Amino acid sequence: MSVNFEEKIKKYRTAPFDARFPNTNQTRNCYQNYLDYHRCNKVLSAKNQKTTPCEWYRRVYKSLCPMAWVQKWDEQLQSGTFAGRI
Amino acid sequence: MAHQAHAYHMVDPSPWPLTGAVSALLMTSGLAIWMHFHSTTLMSLGLVLLLLTMYQWWRDIIREGTFQGHHTPPVQKGLRYGMILFITSEVFFFLGFFWAFYHSSLAPTPELGGCWPPTGITTLNPFEVPLLNTAVLLASGVTVTWAHHSIMEGQRKQALQSLALTILLGFYFTALQAMEYYEAPFTIADGVYGSTFFVATGFHGLHVIIGSTFLTVCLLRQMLHHFTSEHHFGFEAAAWYWHFVDVVWLFLYISIYWWGS
Repeated sequence: MSVNFEEKIKKYRTAPFDARFPNTNQTRNCYQNYLDYHRCNKVLSAKNQKTTPCEWYRRVYKSLCPMAWVQKWDEQLQSGTFAGRI
Repeated sequence: MAHQAHAYHMVDPSPWPLTGAVSALLMTSGLAIWMHFHSTTLMSLGLVLLLLTMYQWWRDIIREGTFQGHHTPPVQKGLRYGMILFITSEVFFFLGFFWAFYHSSLAPTPELGGCWPPTGITTLNPFEVPLLNTAVLLASGVTVTWAHHSIMEGQRKQALQSLALTILLGFYFTALQAMEYYEAPFTIADGVYGSTFFVATGFHGLHVIIGSTFLTVCLLRQMLHHFTSEHHFGFEAAAWYWHFVDVVWLFLYISIYWWGS
C-alpha cells in the first residue's frame, strides 16, 4: 500500500479529478484538502506515527488553492482564528 | 342630481394619495440625509405625514363603507382581491429573505468554517422561547377564528373577548421576541448568520406589530358596532393578514431556528 502511495506521489503532476467536486467551482475541493492535510497531521502526530500519507493532501491543495488563500489560512491557524474544524 | 346606475364606488377627490406619496418621498430622501448628514428631521417629518395619511385615509374608507353604504357586494369583492394581492406581494417579499438564508446556509463558505451554523455562533435553542412563540401564534390563530365565528353569529361579547385575546397573544409574542433579541448571544453584525437571522425575524416582528395594530382597530370598530354578521370585511382582512403572519413565523421557525441550529 505504501509502495503504491510512493509511486503515486512520484508520478504526481497535478490534482486528479475528484468526483466529490464535479463542478466548475473548485473552492470546496481546495478547502477540503487543506482541512484534510491538517487533520491528517493532527491525528497521525497524536498517535506518534509518520505523517507521510498526509503529503497527498498537501500536494493537492498546493495545486488547487490560490496562494493568497493558503497564506491567509496559515496566518489564521497561527493566530488561532481559523474558522474550520481541524 | 340623478343617482348612479351602477353598484360601483366612484370615490370623491381625496388628498391622501398625494400626502402618502409626499411622505414616501420625505422618508426615502430623509433616510439618505440621515446616513450622510446625521439629521433625522426630514425622515421623521415623512414618518409623521405617513401616519397622518394612514389614519385619515382609512378613516375615510370606514366612513364611506360603514356609514355611507358605498361598499356594495362588487365593491367588497374588489377589496377582497386587493387584500389578497397585497398579501401575495408580502409573500414574495419574505421569499427573498428566505432565499438569502438558504443561499448562505446550504453551501457555507470557508470564511464561515464551511459549516452552518458558522464557527463561533451559539444559536438559540429552538425548543425554548422560539417554541413558546410558535405556540402563542398558533393559539392566536385559533382565537381570531373564534372571533370571526362570534361576529358571524352575532355574539357581541364573545367577539370582543376573543379578539382582545388574539391581540394580547400578539403582544405576548412581541414581548417574548424583544426579550430574545436583547438576550441573544449574537448580533446583526455577526456575519451572514446575524444578517439573515435579524433581517428575516425583524421584518416578521414588524409585520406582527402591523397585524396587531390592524386587529386593535377591528376591536375598536367592533366596540362601536361597525360590523354586522353579514358584512365585516375589515375584520376578515385583518384575520387573513394575521394568518399570513403566523404562517411566515412557521417557515421561519422550521428553517432558521430549527434546521439552521
